[in-house]
Amino acid sequence: MNLSCYPAKLALRDGSTVTLRPMEAKDGLGVLDFFRALPEEDRLFLRDNVTNAEWLDRFVRQIDFNAMVPLLAEHEGKVVGNATLQRSLHGWSTHVGELRVAVARAFQHKGLGSLLARELVRIAVDAGLEKMVVSVMDNQIGAKRAFEKLGFRPEAVLKGHVKDTHGAKRDLVIMSNDVSHIWEAMACLTRDYEPSLG
Amino acid sequence: MAKCELRVGGLGGQGVILCGMIIGKAASIYDGKEATLIQAFGPEARGSACSAQVTISDEVIGYPYVKSPDLLIVMSIDAAAQFVPTLKPGGLVLYETDMVSSMPPLPAGARALGIPATRFAEELGRRLVLNIVMVGFFAGVTGLVSWEAVEKAVRASVPKGTEDLNLRALRKGHDYGRELAAPKAEVAA
Repeated sequence: MNLSCYPAKLALRDGSTVTLRPMEAKDGLGVLDFFRALPEEDRLFLRDNVTNAEWLDRFVRQIDFNAMVPLLAEHEGKVVGNATLQRSLHGWSTHVGELRVAVARAFQHKGLGSLLARELVRIAVDAGLEKMVVSVMDNQIGAKRAFEKLGFRPEAVLKGHVKDTHGAKRDLVIMSNDVSHIWEAMACLTRDYEPSLG
Repeated sequence: MAKCELRVGGLGGQGVILCGMIIGKAASIYDGKEATLIQAFGPEARGSACSAQVTISDEVIGYPYVKSPDLLIVMSIDAAAQFVPTLKPGGLVLYETDMVSSMPPLPAGARALGIPATRFAEELGRRLVLNIVMVGFFAGVTGLVSWEAVEKAVRASVPKGTEDLNLRALRKGHDYGRELAAPKAEVAA
């Protein structure tokens, strides 16, 4: 996947700036600090135990920009956002990418989550992926709205699939974004067919 | 450059017409020159012969049809066989190396430059952008349209969401063309 446009400095809604760049092996400790500083209820949304140093070590060792793009948002040298696009290079879903986004509490509601998600969508489209999916809990209204603005729509609901901090079961909403139509438009343009002459 | 007549030839589905249209748009709308475009299709949408005739000039163009081009962009072996014999002496052929495996004899003083545009497009992620690689190659070799103009023309012509990849394809062809044509290519006009 092409990451030549990074590092990129971008402004948030409140005027503060963050630098986006792909995560590297040397970022391990900074990322660990970021995840450990997330409130527990935010960490619930993440599939892995991201505060575990061993998990992070495994994660860093398997960074392969063809299969996975972990993007970091930094502010004043500190990691304030992490977003990952993962795709399978084998099997029946090589055309699908999965997004995960986490933002430090102090940087939430400033558009950083949307910005990270938008970057991943752009990278995915460029890489030729045709569909993207993201999982959100049914009460993550803000996250759902942000993904809807990027073209994601609820595709499946897994009832009682996750438990929140209070132990209550909640529905997991799988949202998807079919971007194949973008390239269908390009295919139409290159069809070299003029109906009036055909 | 007083006037340059060019023909783009290939197969339906390769984006031959879009290739000609972007070149004409870059020259006329963004570089302030005059340009015309004539399209010709085969009887079927895909896989059949297809060509575009583009004329670029500093002055008003009175006759838009191109019978004997100064410059050819060919993306299929059939297009090369059909159009290379019509090239003006001293003209230039830009061809796709994987698709044009054999080149007919060139007219006196003419030369041919090839680019593996299909491979480049596939490496970028979409074979569909082959025609944009060819547009970049044309701009890089000839300098007949400026980089700024052709970049704007591509941005304005491709679907929203595909701009980044198309612009990378354009840059790839442009850089390859500049390198191949260095120090400077001259095109019969």
